[in-house]
Amino acid sequence: MNDFQWAPVGPPLPVSPPPLPPARVDFTGDRGDFRRLVTKGAALELVTFGFYRFWLVTDIRRHLWSNTSVNGDAAEYTGRAKELLLGFLFALAILVPIYLAYFLVTIEVERFQGFASTPLFISFYAFGQFAIYRARRYRLTRTVWRGVRFWMDGSGWAYSLRAMLWGLLVFLTLGLALPWREASLERYKMQHSHYGDLNGDFVGDGWTFFKRGWWLWLLSPVAIIIFPLAPFFYAEFKARQWRWWLSGIRIGGVSLESKLPHDAFYGLYWKVIGWTMLLSMALGMYVSICTALVVKLGGGSLEDVVGGDGFNSIPLLALTVIGYFAMALAFNIVMRVYLQRDLWAKVLETTHVHGIEAAANVRASGELASALGEGFADGLDVAGF
Amino acid sequence: MSDVSQPIAAAEQPPRIAIFFDGVTSRRREVTLALLDQLEIVETGEAAIRWAYADIRRADSPAGLLRLSCTSAPPLARLEVRDTQLASDIVTRCARLDEHRTSRRGVAKIVGWSVAAAASLVAVVLFGMPLAADRLAPLVPEALQQRIGDAAEVQVKAIFGGGVCNDPEGQAAFTKLVNRIRDAAGLDASVKSAVLPTSVPNAFALPGGKVYMLKGLLDRADNPDEVAGILAHEFGHLKHHDNMRGLIYNGGTSFLIGLLFGDVTGSSAVIFASRSVVEASYSRDAEQAADTFAIEMMHALGRSPKPAAELMYRITGKEGGKGITILASHPLTEDRLARMTKEDQPPSGPPLLTAQEWKALKGICGGSGKV
Ligand SMILES: [Zn+2]
Repeated sequence: MNDFQWAPVGPPLPVSPPPLPPARVDFTGDRGDFRRLVTKGAALELVTFGFYRFWLVTDIRRHLWSNTSVNGDAAEYTGRAKELLLGFLFALAILVPIYLAYFLVTIEVERFQGFASTPLFISFYAFGQFAIYRARRYRLTRTVWRGVRFWMDGSGWAYSLRAMLWGLLVFLTLGLALPWREASLERYKMQHSHYGDLNGDFVGDGWTFFKRGWWLWLLSPVAIIIFPLAPFFYAEFKARQWRWWLSGIRIGGVSLESKLPHDAFYGLYWKVIGWTMLLSMALGMYVSICTALVVKLGGGSLEDVVGGDGFNSIPLLALTVIGYFAMALAFNIVMRVYLQRDLWAKVLETTHVHGIEAAANVRASGELASALGEGFADGLDVAGF
Repeated sequence: MSDVSQPIAAAEQPPRIAIFFDGVTSRRREVTLALLDQLEIVETGEAAIRWAYADIRRADSPAGLLRLSCTSAPPLARLEVRDTQLASDIVTRCARLDEHRTSRRGVAKIVGWSVAAAASLVAVVLFGMPLAADRLAPLVPEALQQRIGDAAEVQVKAIFGGGVCNDPEGQAAFTKLVNRIRDAAGLDASVKSAVLPTSVPNAFALPGGKVYMLKGLLDRADNPDEVAGILAHEFGHLKHHDNMRGLIYNGGTSFLIGLLFGDVTGSSAVIFASRSVVEASYSRDAEQAADTFAIEMMHALGRSPKPAAELMYRITGKEGGKGITILASHPLTEDRLARMTKEDQPPSGPPLLTAQEWKALKGICGGSGKV
C-alpha cells in the first residue's frame, strides 16, 4: 500500500507552485438516506407537536454538512439539538416580557391615535434581523472543516440597524435598492466571519446583482398576472442570487466561484408545485370519500353533514383534520427533499474554490456562539441564509 | 491488501495510514496508526499522540469514511480512516464509540417529554386559563382597564365614522333608560354609554365601563323593552369583567397554542382553528352568563326579557344548521329566544320609557327616527 491509496476522493496534495486547478466541492449524500431522515423526522415532529423540530433541523444539517467535501475533506456540523432547544427557551424568556410590554405600549399609543401602533411592528422587524445575524453566527461556529471552526464577531444589533435602514430604502425605491441592500448586509456578515485566523470578506456588489436581475424586477407584475410564470421567475431570481452570493465570498486568500446556470432551479420548483397539486388532489379525494362514508354510515343526507358554510359532523371534522395533518407531513417531506437537499446539491456541484492552499495551515481561533439567535428566529418565524 | 492475513503482532502489520487533524491548526497530517493498549497516532518527525479507546467517539462523516474524535483531546481533533479493515479494527476496540448518539431510547424520551409538555399545555388552556382569567380580571387596576377602553374606543369611533348621536331629547331618554338599568344592576355612575350613528345592528361593551348601542339596532327595535334587554346584557358583560377576562384568556391561549404547535404544519391554519374552538366555547359561556344577568335585571325592573330576544331573532334569523356550532361565539339566537321566552312574564313594573321618550330615543341620531 503506498502513500496515496487511502485517498480515492480528491487529488493528492499539490506540492508544485501554481497554476493550480480550482478545488472541487462535492456533495456525496445519499438521497434515499435523506428522504428516510426527513420522513422519520416529520412523523416524529407530528407526534411531538413540533418539539422534534430541534432534532430534525440538527439531523438535516449534520447530513448536509458531513456529506459536503471541499478539496476532498468533508465538513462537519457540531451543533446539537439541545442547544437549539435551550436557545428557544431563552428566546421565549426574553420575548414573552417584550410581547407583554408591546401590548401595554400599544394600549398607551392607541389611546391618543387610532391604529397608530402599527409602526411598533418595526421593533419586531428589528428583532427578526438580529435573529438572522445571530442564527448565522450559531451555524457558522458549529461548522468545522479540517478540525478548525468557522466563527463570527460583530454585533447583531449593529447589523439589525443596517438591515432596517436598508429595508426603508428598499421600501421607498419599490424594491430597486434590493441588490445594494443584499450586498451591504452580506459584506457586514462576511467581514465579521472567520475561518480560524483567516478573515472573511464579500466582494459581490449591488450593481452586478442588479444587472443580473433587473428585468425580473421589471417583469414581476407580469408574473403576478400570469400565474404559471411565477415559479420560473422565482427560480430565476434564486439561481441568480445564489450565484452572485457564492461568487462574492472570500476567506483569506480563498475565493469561491459559482457557475450555477440561471435555469438550475426550474425543475425543483416545478416538482414541488407538482407534488403540492398531487397532494391537494389526494386530500380532496380523501375528504370526499370520508364524506360519502359518513353520510352512508350516519344515514343522514349530505345536507345534514355538510350544511351552510362548514361541517356539522364531528367525525367528519376529525377525519378531515387527520387528512390535513397527513398532507402537511407529506408536504414538509417534499419541501425538504427538493428545496433543501436537492437545491444544496445543485448549488454545490457548480461551485469551485480557488486558492484553497491558503487554508492549508490555519490556526484555530474564535469563540463559540450560543443558539439564542436560532431561538429568536424560531420564535419570530424568520429565516435567513 | 485482499489476501494479506492480519496477524495480531504489530510488527507484521502493513502500514496503517490515516489522516489526522489536531484541532489546533487545519494542517492535514498523514499519520500511521498503531493499535496498542491505546490508539497511537504517529506523524513522522513528531511525538506520538495517544488516544485511550474508551475516550474515542464517532464524529459525523460521509459514507466510506470513519471519523473519530477523542474526549480527552482538543474537541475538534479528528482522525479520518478510509481503509475499511483498519476502520473495523478500531471500531471493535472502542466500546463507547456511539455512546453520545441519540439512541432509540433517546427518541422515545423526546416523544414522551413532548407529549407530557403538550398535555400540560392543553390542561393549562382548558382549565388554567379560564381560572386565571376569572381571578385576574377583577384585579386589573381600574386605570388600566380605563386605558384599554379608551384605546378601543378610539378604534371603534374610527371604524364607525366618529362622533356619537346627541339629539338632546333623545339623549335624555337614553340616559333615563340607561340609568334605570344601571341602578338595577348595581353599577356605579362611572359607566358611560352612547349611541353611535351606524346602520350596523349591534351593541357592545368596552373595558372600563363603556356600553355602545349602534343606531342600526335602535332602528330595528319596536319598544323600549327590546332595547333595555340588550343593554342589560351588555351591562352583564361589564359586571362580569368579560372584556378583561376575554383579553387575558385570548392572549394566554393564543400564546400557549402557538407555543404548542410551533411550525409543525408550517401554517397557522391549525392554530387558528383550535384557537377559534377554544375561545368560542369560552365566549359562549360568558354570553350565557350575560343573558342570565339580563333576565334578572329585566325581572327586577318588572319587565319581560323576551322582547330583547325577539329583537335579536329579527336581526339574525334562524342560526342553526349554518356552520359548525362549536365554532360559534354566541349561543344560537333561537336557543336564546327559547330561554327568554321561558322567562317571559307579564309586566309588573311601569314602562321604562313613555311613548314620547321612546320616539325621542328613536330620533337620537337626528331626523325623525325610522319606525
Ligand atoms: Zn354579549
